[in-house]
Amino acid sequence: MTFLERTTDARRFRHCEGDIEADYIYTSGIAGERFFVALRDDGRLVAVRCDACDLAYLPPRMFCERCFSELTTYVDVPREGRVAAVTIARVDRSGEYLATPEAWAFVTFKGIHGGLVHRLLIDPERARAGMAVRVKVKPRDARVGAITDIEGFEPAGSPK
Amino acid sequence: MTARISKWPGVELSAADLYEGKVTSVRFRPDAKYAWSAGEAMTRFLEELQAGRLIARTCHKCERILFPPRMFCEECFRPNDEWTYIHDTGTIETFSVSYLDKDAKRITEPILVGVVSIDGASPKMGMMHYFGEMTKDDIHIGMRVKAVWKLPEERRGSVLDIRYFRPLREGEP
Repeated sequence: MTFLERTTDARRFRHCEGDIEADYIYTSGIAGERFFVALRDDGRLVAVRCDACDLAYLPPRMFCERCFSELTTYVDVPREGRVAAVTIARVDRSGEYLATPEAWAFVTFKGIHGGLVHRLLIDPERARAGMAVRVKVKPRDARVGAITDIEGFEPAGSPK
Repeated sequence: MTARISKWPGVELSAADLYEGKVTSVRFRPDAKYAWSAGEAMTRFLEELQAGRLIARTCHKCERILFPPRMFCEECFRPNDEWTYIHDTGTIETFSVSYLDKDAKRITEPILVGVVSIDGASPKMGMMHYFGEMTKDDIHIGMRVKAVWKLPEERRGSVLDIRYFRPLREGEP
């Protein structure tokens, strides 16, 4: 082999395979804790308000990105939101094909800066930006204080 | 300076707090797989070890015999030219008497390790390995040694296919 020839498959050589045990525990932080505790205990979504900038942030954070003041006023997010963007997932996060495609959406709420990305609980064929949706949370005993406590977003008009 | 600060800002959390779920958190293990290739030269080197031989690469320009083998001459800055078998005997260049094992545990019988420059390769070209059949008092720089190989069926294409280097006996080539 000359230097200019390229090895295209390094696995034909002797090689060792492994996986890196890079386990981690990521805590939610002060503002994140408020968000997840409200979600777990009350099934509620909260945002944090900056009165100086007249803005509410979702997900909540400790500091205002515009004026850098510390934020301590938590407010409820409206039950209904709107799909700002939608995508159809055909593979899972490890690249395996899903049995049925899933719709995922970025949902925004009136008067709230930011939004949430989650599953759209409808037929992916029907998923459209602009849809009015409502958050659907898991029953209390299934909630653990994680983003998966939210089952997804369902059309706003659907029966509860 | 830190002595004057009795209470640091922020929230202190212990490992137990995390495991008991005192705060919300996400636990995750990334699917971080890898395959580390030995490459062209090292693959041949390992295969030859399994066959009980040491192999080097020769550069025709500087006429050096490179060991451990690599496909590129770092002196001439060009791909080198051919494979060359070398001997399994050599000379101790440097050594250590270690009272720590591989896991850094203290041991009473020392492990002898060091670099052997291999006969047939260019001067000072060699490999690191264990030394055996000698004591910490016998071992010295310049000592002539020979590889002790594992049995062919025990070899795995690893540098440990050589068990260790022992002193070269009188009359041995």
